[in-house]
Amino acid sequence: MRDDNQLHAAVVELVALENAEIKYATVQNWYPGDQHGNGGIFNFVTKRGLCAGAHSKISWTQVETGSAITWKYPSVILKGDYSVGEFYSVALTNNYQQADTGTKMTHLGKHTRSTIISKGISAGHGQNSYRGLVKVGAKASDSRNHSQCDSLLLGDTCGAHTLPYIEVSHPMAQVEHEATTTKISDDQLFYCQQRGIDTEAAVAMLVSGFCKEVFHKLPMEFAVEAQALMEISLEGAIG
Amino acid sequence: MLSIRNLGVRIDNKLILQGINLEVAAGEVHAIMGPNGSGKSTLAQTLAGHPDYQVSQGQVLYQGQDLLSLNVEQRAAAGIFLAFQYPVEIPGVSNIQFLKSALNCQRKQRGEPELDALDFITDVKQKMRQMQIDEALLYRGTNEGFSGGEKKSNEILQLLVLQPQLAILDETDSGLDIDALKRVAAGVNAFRSPERALILVTHYQRLLQYLVPDRVHVLQNGRIIRSGGAELALELEQQGYTTDTPSEDAPTQKREVPDDNG
Repeated sequence: MRDDNQLHAAVVELVALENAEIKYATVQNWYPGDQHGNGGIFNFVTKRGLCAGAHSKISWTQVETGSAITWKYPSVILKGDYSVGEFYSVALTNNYQQADTGTKMTHLGKHTRSTIISKGISAGHGQNSYRGLVKVGAKASDSRNHSQCDSLLLGDTCGAHTLPYIEVSHPMAQVEHEATTTKISDDQLFYCQQRGIDTEAAVAMLVSGFCKEVFHKLPMEFAVEAQALMEISLEGAIG
Repeated sequence: MLSIRNLGVRIDNKLILQGINLEVAAGEVHAIMGPNGSGKSTLAQTLAGHPDYQVSQGQVLYQGQDLLSLNVEQRAAAGIFLAFQYPVEIPGVSNIQFLKSALNCQRKQRGEPELDALDFITDVKQKMRQMQIDEALLYRGTNEGFSGGEKKSNEILQLLVLQPQLAILDETDSGLDIDALKRVAAGVNAFRSPERALILVTHYQRLLQYLVPDRVHVLQNGRIIRSGGAELALELEQQGYTTDTPSEDAPTQKREVPDDNG
């Protein structure tokens, strides 16, 4: 009965005028399909923001644990001078889930800043891609971007992919991109177990440590929820 | 408390321990000494249940039960604590969160209720003062970016908070300056009681000046070749490990590299 796929398509548009600040946080746990990859939601979502005024700010935070396939790229057009765009993301894929997510930061105004922190966790046969564009226009003098994309692999049948696009048209722009791929080491697991923490609790703890920078950006009640969701979504991922 | 009988251990099909016999009673402190590669750390890791160490023969009884049939976290909950030679970094998981998680997981396994959060933090802070550890370390990632000395002190803090029955200290003295060594020794002495036992794995006699052992055992080539009282450690310090069997001097493998970033 739940073998079919359903489509979720939503559009969210944010506009921030002068000195305005918008924070938009999402925790998503749509049905991901069964452990063989049958069924589940196709989560194809449009999210875009415009920092129209000077000194405006838009901050996207997302925790993606559900859906069979997620395609989602919350973006910010930094039109106002001194405007700020942020994107903080945790995406977790288990079994046969796929998440292809990231952001577009388009710097048009002067002295615009953007920060991207993306954490991808892949388990089972899950695939995680970060796909992002940082674009600095010809008039966006003194603009800065910092991007950090960290991937955590649990097991040897999952995948993590990072596809950053950077287009810079102003000589005074400063754009940084960092990417890491890690796994939970046997030493870390043994250390936790020797202190009495069983494998499942240890993995949940290590994963939440990996996501800490993003969870800190969530409102308190969301952060607790997000943590609990991660633990449920990871059940049986190692062991 | 602990009874090791004819224990043989392999790693990667290489025989490291070849028939260890050791009896440790409650209240006792035993020191295991020996050159690099003699199997000291292997013994410590095996008792804790590290999966890379395969027991090929023998038996280990801990408080009357078959230790080798328990998994790693069951051994921890039963009161076995290993202070690691190289404590592992757990990025993003604060020291306080790690300690609390460890204590509550152990309590859960023993069917005890979770500790009250306020009681817990009060207890931890009191023990940090006792160990002269900066409270700021509580909120940093577990062992993340800690100096060698901070890592070793943190192991002893965990020992004091978790209150195990049998503590195995694997070269806790290596890489410590003299002041840090005294603090660590004071922490371990505070842990000692007639109900608890301690196994110290060490190269050097210097730790044993502050933590006087009841028995000293010399491990070489996977066997205990000598046992004696505290005076044996002094004799070894003066004469070296190899006076009896100079031909077997050459260390066959160097798993234990002294830590010098204290």
